[in-house]
Amino acid sequence: MKTLIVIAAMGLLLLYVWERVEIVRVGYQIERLKVKKVALERERDELQVKLSALTSPERIARVATEKLGLAPPQRGQVILVNVKPEAPAHGEPAMPDVKLARNEPVGKVP
Amino acid sequence: MAAAPYRGRRMVAALVLLSGFALILFRLFNLQILQAAELTVKADRQHRKAVSVQGPRGSIYDRHGKVLAINMEVPSVFGVPASLDDPSGVARDLSPVLRVRAGEIEKKLKQERSFVWIARKLDPEQGRRLERMPLGGIGVVMEGQRFYPKGPLLSHVLGFAGMDSQGLEGIERRYDPSLRGEKQMVVLQRDALGRTVFPKGLHEQAPSAGHNVILTIDEVIQYIAEKELEEAVTATRAKGGIVIVMEPRTGAILAMAVNPRFDPNTVQAISADRWRNRALTDTYEPGSTMKIFVAAAALEEKVMEPETLVYGENGRMVVAKTVIHDHDKLGWMTFAQVIQRSSNIGSVKTAMALGAERLYRWLRAFGFGERTEIDLPGEVAGLIKEPRDWERRSLASIAIGQEIGVTALQLVTAVAAIANGGWLMKPYTVSEIRDEKGRVVVQVSPQVRRQPISPESVHTLSKILEGVVTHGTGSKAAVPGYRVAGKTGTAQKIDPKTGAYSSHLSVGSFVGYVPAEDPRLAIVVVIDEPQTEAWGGVVAAPVFRRVAEQALQHLGISSQEPVKLAMTTSSEMARP
Repeated sequence: MKTLIVIAAMGLLLLYVWERVEIVRVGYQIERLKVKKVALERERDELQVKLSALTSPERIARVATEKLGLAPPQRGQVILVNVKPEAPAHGEPAMPDVKLARNEPVGKVP
Repeated sequence: MAAAPYRGRRMVAALVLLSGFALILFRLFNLQILQAAELTVKADRQHRKAVSVQGPRGSIYDRHGKVLAINMEVPSVFGVPASLDDPSGVARDLSPVLRVRAGEIEKKLKQERSFVWIARKLDPEQGRRLERMPLGGIGVVMEGQRFYPKGPLLSHVLGFAGMDSQGLEGIERRYDPSLRGEKQMVVLQRDALGRTVFPKGLHEQAPSAGHNVILTIDEVIQYIAEKELEEAVTATRAKGGIVIVMEPRTGAILAMAVNPRFDPNTVQAISADRWRNRALTDTYEPGSTMKIFVAAAALEEKVMEPETLVYGENGRMVVAKTVIHDHDKLGWMTFAQVIQRSSNIGSVKTAMALGAERLYRWLRAFGFGERTEIDLPGEVAGLIKEPRDWERRSLASIAIGQEIGVTALQLVTAVAAIANGGWLMKPYTVSEIRDEKGRVVVQVSPQVRRQPISPESVHTLSKILEGVVTHGTGSKAAVPGYRVAGKTGTAQKIDPKTGAYSSHLSVGSFVGYVPAEDPRLAIVVVIDEPQTEAWGGVVAAPVFRRVAEQALQHLGISSQEPVKLAMTTSSEMARP
């Protein structure tokens, strides 16, 4: 009986120690993950800054005209077709405006 | 007994062990009980470290969620001169990474200080290279840096934030309380090696990030406005200019361009004069664009009708001993023609028919002489004197937009009131504020300030203003396929040297809206001190056309006029 109690006490003690060790271990793990999270967030922000700098209308216009030889559409090249919203055929949603572009070279294309 | 000889030894061994344990127990007793209080304090001081942490500053987006301002953590390098053995060696190693001369770094490292910044807010790539260099006495910390990825785009509206992430101008300043991240003291536990340990029993919560601000601005329309303004300012060799694009029904600002521009990323190198959002901080004498409101008052007060005949005095009239000229020798004309041909004399006669009190009341009703209360800092009320302070010539002067100071924002807001059927709206640039998880914190809805004019008068006036573009001074503002209403303005500036109207300094402007039958855009264009040509119809009206044309296309607002389809060749059509 006595031995059983001693063994149980030892077991409890070990459990307690194991628990403490585990808390510390997981604590370190959490810290490592936090550091990783911060690094990933940093990378995300960095990429977002890059993305929005690369998609700035000024840059897109420059690349389109200088590198790709595109030109802004001239008058009459884009025709917006206005579909009257008051006549939706049998409850179908009204068609949105449709953009049509004609293929017609404008100016010189390098 | 064989055991006897060992008994003594066992005793000795037991004694040694016991006294050893007793010693340990004593020490333990001493440390854990006698000195417990004192040592706990000491240990806590070493384990715990309280640091002030601030959540990152919120971002600023345009109406379609495009990023206009964002925070990013960037590395800063510091040195601890006391713990450096070889400052010149370290300086030589750092020099190529920091792109700073070794001599300069060495000078900093040889200072008699415990802490010195070597370089702040470097780019992330430099930080990664530094991390790979094992350098004693040199440390890298991350600091929040504000980035404006679109460079100068919208800079006057956005403003900028300072080194310590505090908003200093524009949206950054006005919405600083929302954008600013929460500040919090956080207690960190460190182990013997100085690593952070998960704190036990402490609820750990990072300080929350600042809120994100979503603007009414459309990045693309903003770009169009800035590009066209820049081209016009360059072509006319002007001092600068302003373009504002507003949604007449709501008062939402779609674009606000001020030229010359500046890059908020490199704001330290720019004088404060360039930051000012002159669209709302500076007033100018509007000139003939004021005739819109004189006409509005006359129509609403039934002083004039579009067909009322007005005599143009052959282009010369004396008022209060001064002469008022028209650019053409005009004879009899209808009231509509007075506006369309921008007759000064006709406008002065209209103002005389209204009288000082009524004219003043009407201009105030359209918002002149008071702030529009836009959500941007630095707005001025403009200048309009009360009738009792008017001189003999004042009524005539004000009728043609002199002796009155307005901001470009006031002008476009007042014109938007004519465009939307008579409602003076409160202009605004922020439509929504969201927290870091995307939940809406503030939702801004359009606000009516008052209804200064009836829809009937607006309708009549709008027809007259369409005439300005179809067969008046504003023909260069015409956008093919759309009905445009507007008014040109050419104002002489007061020469600061003489105090009189200058013969060569002027402001050319155009203000109007499109499509006239269902206005979606109200636009004002102001060109300050153009050198090539002064007329608003020549310098500003074409900018209106180009901005309107592209913005209408961007917004997908279709033309009301039938379009002739020019078919492409059949071979091209057949291609899949």
